[in-house]
Amino acid sequence: MIWRMLLKLIPGDLRNSVAGDLEEELISIRQRYGRALAVFWLFGATLTLAVRFQLEEFTNGRPLPPIREELRRKPHMLESVRQDVLFGIRMLGRQPVFTAVAVLALALGIGANAAIFSAVDSVLWRPLPFANPNRIMQIAEQRPKEGRSFGPVSPADYFDWRRESRSFAAMAAHLDDVVNLTADGEPERVHKLNVSEPFLRVLGIVPVYGRDFQAGEEIVGRHRVAILTDPFWRRRFGADPSIVGKNIQLDGNSFQVIGVLPSGFWWPSPADMIVPLALEDSDRALRGAHFLRVVGVLHPGVSVTQAADELTAIGAKLSQTYPAENSGHGPGMRPFREALVGEVRAALTMLLGSVGLVLLIACTNVATLLLARSAARQREIAVRRAVGASRGRLIQQMLTESLMLSLLGGLAGLTMAWWSLGVLRQILPAQLSNLPGLASTGIDRQVLLAALAVSALTGLLFGIGPALAATRQDVGVALGEETRGNSGGSRALRIRSTLVIVEVALSLTLLVGATLLIASFRNVMKVSPGFGPGNLIAAQISLPGKRYPDQAHSAAFFQTLFSRLNSVPATAGVAATAALPFSGEDSRLDLDIENRTAQANSPIRAHPRLVSSDYLRVMGIPILSGRPFSDRDNASSPPVVMLNDAAARQYWPGENPIGQRISLGSPARWMEIVGIAGDVHHHGLLSDPVPEAYIPQLQGFRALGSGLARNMTVLVRTSMSLAAEAALIKAAVKEIDSQQPIGAIQSMAAIIDDSVAPRRLNLILMSGFAIVAVVLTAAGLYGVMAYLVSQRTREIGVRMALGASRWQILGMLFRHAGLMTGAGIALGVAGSALLTRWLTTMLFGVSRTSLPIYLAVSLLLSLVALIAVAVPSRRAVRVDPLIALRDS
Amino acid sequence: MSAFDSIGEFEHMVLLAVLRLDDNAYAVTVREEIFKHTGRDLSRGSIYITLDRLESKGFLKSRLGEPTAERGGRAKRYYTPRPAAITALKESRRALESMWRGLEARLA
Repeated sequence: MIWRMLLKLIPGDLRNSVAGDLEEELISIRQRYGRALAVFWLFGATLTLAVRFQLEEFTNGRPLPPIREELRRKPHMLESVRQDVLFGIRMLGRQPVFTAVAVLALALGIGANAAIFSAVDSVLWRPLPFANPNRIMQIAEQRPKEGRSFGPVSPADYFDWRRESRSFAAMAAHLDDVVNLTADGEPERVHKLNVSEPFLRVLGIVPVYGRDFQAGEEIVGRHRVAILTDPFWRRRFGADPSIVGKNIQLDGNSFQVIGVLPSGFWWPSPADMIVPLALEDSDRALRGAHFLRVVGVLHPGVSVTQAADELTAIGAKLSQTYPAENSGHGPGMRPFREALVGEVRAALTMLLGSVGLVLLIACTNVATLLLARSAARQREIAVRRAVGASRGRLIQQMLTESLMLSLLGGLAGLTMAWWSLGVLRQILPAQLSNLPGLASTGIDRQVLLAALAVSALTGLLFGIGPALAATRQDVGVALGEETRGNSGGSRALRIRSTLVIVEVALSLTLLVGATLLIASFRNVMKVSPGFGPGNLIAAQISLPGKRYPDQAHSAAFFQTLFSRLNSVPATAGVAATAALPFSGEDSRLDLDIENRTAQANSPIRAHPRLVSSDYLRVMGIPILSGRPFSDRDNASSPPVVMLNDAAARQYWPGENPIGQRISLGSPARWMEIVGIAGDVHHHGLLSDPVPEAYIPQLQGFRALGSGLARNMTVLVRTSMSLAAEAALIKAAVKEIDSQQPIGAIQSMAAIIDDSVAPRRLNLILMSGFAIVAVVLTAAGLYGVMAYLVSQRTREIGVRMALGASRWQILGMLFRHAGLMTGAGIALGVAGSALLTRWLTTMLFGVSRTSLPIYLAVSLLLSLVALIAVAVPSRRAVRVDPLIALRDS
Repeated sequence: MSAFDSIGEFEHMVLLAVLRLDDNAYAVTVREEIFKHTGRDLSRGSIYITLDRLESKGFLKSRLGEPTAERGGRAKRYYTPRPAAITALKESRRALESMWRGLEARLA
């Protein structure tokens, strides 16, 4: 219906064919963007066309030769629109408070929506910056039995999938790595992305300078070539194209730069350069060690189901051939975008829903305001009708005013959205800024059009009711009623009370959601990570293999560093680990227990943790039984190992493993279990502890390659500030090895904080929405009560003249407000019980129907309502009966 | 006033698109045709207004086609060039070519 009304603004002779053209285009838009966006598009496009035609007519006139009925009427209609606009400006200007409140309410609603819509649009809907974004898939290991999906892949599996699969045009493995760059200038830690040769073909990206990798460059010995990313090339080499062909030093090895990627290249993990993933033959054969990630691009025309079926078949064959390593798991795939946004989809959808509720509240609010105004203008309208204005003419004028109001609100809202997106980008946690396009989210044409369409729609929807209501009354009755000055707007009051009830209900829903998130966040923060993060500072150091060829050399470096840092009085302890909790670093190996035969169906695995001897004490991880490591556990003493509680419970149920011997990975090396340590939530506060095996750094560990002992995080327990400690660590490292760079230095508390950042962002946004909702609702309540008081001034005067006490008057007013609030709360509780279902995955340690939360929120809203009602009520009881009666 | 003065660049493009499209020229296809050849994504409003102006200037004539279901039962407004359009286009081409002559070396 609204669309038909918009079409009316298009010249009559063209209207039908234009509408047909729009409907024709709508079909393809709907297929491409879905129903909801298509509707937005239709309104946006029609509105723009209408404005264009009106402007054209206004400026040039449409000099079409045949003068038809519509055209003859046009100048009249245009003139009336012009009159309405001018009149509207006068009316809005005459009531600045009303205008400001309405515009602000709409600005909050539309602004928040535009901001969240932009974010959601860029994360969930805009295509990824690759050649065939819809055909790019993540292929990963599925372990349904262990409840794990999309895990890392072993090299042997990857090569088998790549060889056997016919559905994929190209398939590539990738592996993040950090290396030391020592070209000319300062040494620097750089992010290197190791990729299989077809990687760029999967993404459909061609280097702007130089060339792509060639087939042979995946082979060890021929792999020392690198393609730089654009930002790194600009920063480090001043955008010099002649770098192609030259050599750079990575961890002491010479790599030839063979190309530069285009500036639009985007990848979810940080990457300064990509180099071929070259695996030794022994590593290519690994089937039990899972550490690769795999992407592939489907052949055109191959469906997702076809490809998935083929992968499943390949997986089943591999499980039969290699039952020891591959039973119980196999390949699975999903669109690459899902791999990136899977986890935040729920959160973004929740935010979009919440922000929609805010808009609904804002609209309701404006509708109450408009109703109040139209009631106050009853007399004016009656007079205008009495002197001959048609009802249609009056409705047109009132709609013009509400449209102007909502467009003003829309403009203010867009300003607000532009500003809040800036803020959003600032507070975006690191994990989220990895999402495609979120960091560069802005107000684009789509968002602009959507916001304008929403504004126009709001104006029409919430202007039409009051316009109809105001003009419905019979002229005589309206004039008569007005002269009698009684509460003739009882019908309008009913409508407005209903609107306020809806507002209260919507606010309650948002408040409940926000409070549930706050409670969950508090519960998450109460979870102990398993160690003491206070006063703990972590610094990443990776030693280059060239200068530290074996574990003895690396161990010597770290021992010197420890003793230097320990010599400072503020230091309470220094340690190092190859896999810092919350860092995402991890690996997993098969665990053999001496004198126990391994069972193929339930393999025993543990996560190795290479640590310095003081690690558990410095971290504050309790030792549950046995003894800690000491410096005597070194290369010349018998190999020892400590397990965590999870490993002990899982693999030695009801037994004491201390004294037994285990081996991790291959080659087999038997280590004696000397102690059991407390569990640590390695993958985040809410992750379950995994079986871990601590191995002393001084005894070394070969099963994960020699690189492990060189990439360590040094931990210092200190009373110094982060900045002072960082300076100390840098100075100490420089003294030992002046060419050695240091990676990120962070406090452990900050690392834990970062891990809950997405949760905190949800909570901040949700709370913001809830606060806006409550403020708008309070304004709505205030408006209704103020209107009630002004309408009933005469009645109150009469009552007081007849002896009613102030308390009785107050009682009457509060009864009305109480009924509205109560009904709103009841409705809101029902609504929350329904809507919080979408929050379940984001809650922790709190039920979505938690009674205390519902009670507290209801109480809070009642309190707000009380304050909103108090001001007009005070005015009511101050009514002087004489004045009230005389005024009317 | 020569024909070259009477049509702007925009109108020029729209006229050429109508000619190219033969008897299938209506707002949607005209817009697509221009995009296809120039990469310029013109707004719908500009297309409608230009077609409208060209009709009132006597360069184009329009007729309504058969209503179809996919368009909600609404007819397309097809445009065909009048002789004046051909004259204007020829004239503007001639004028442009004459202006270009001798500049090839400098603008190559």
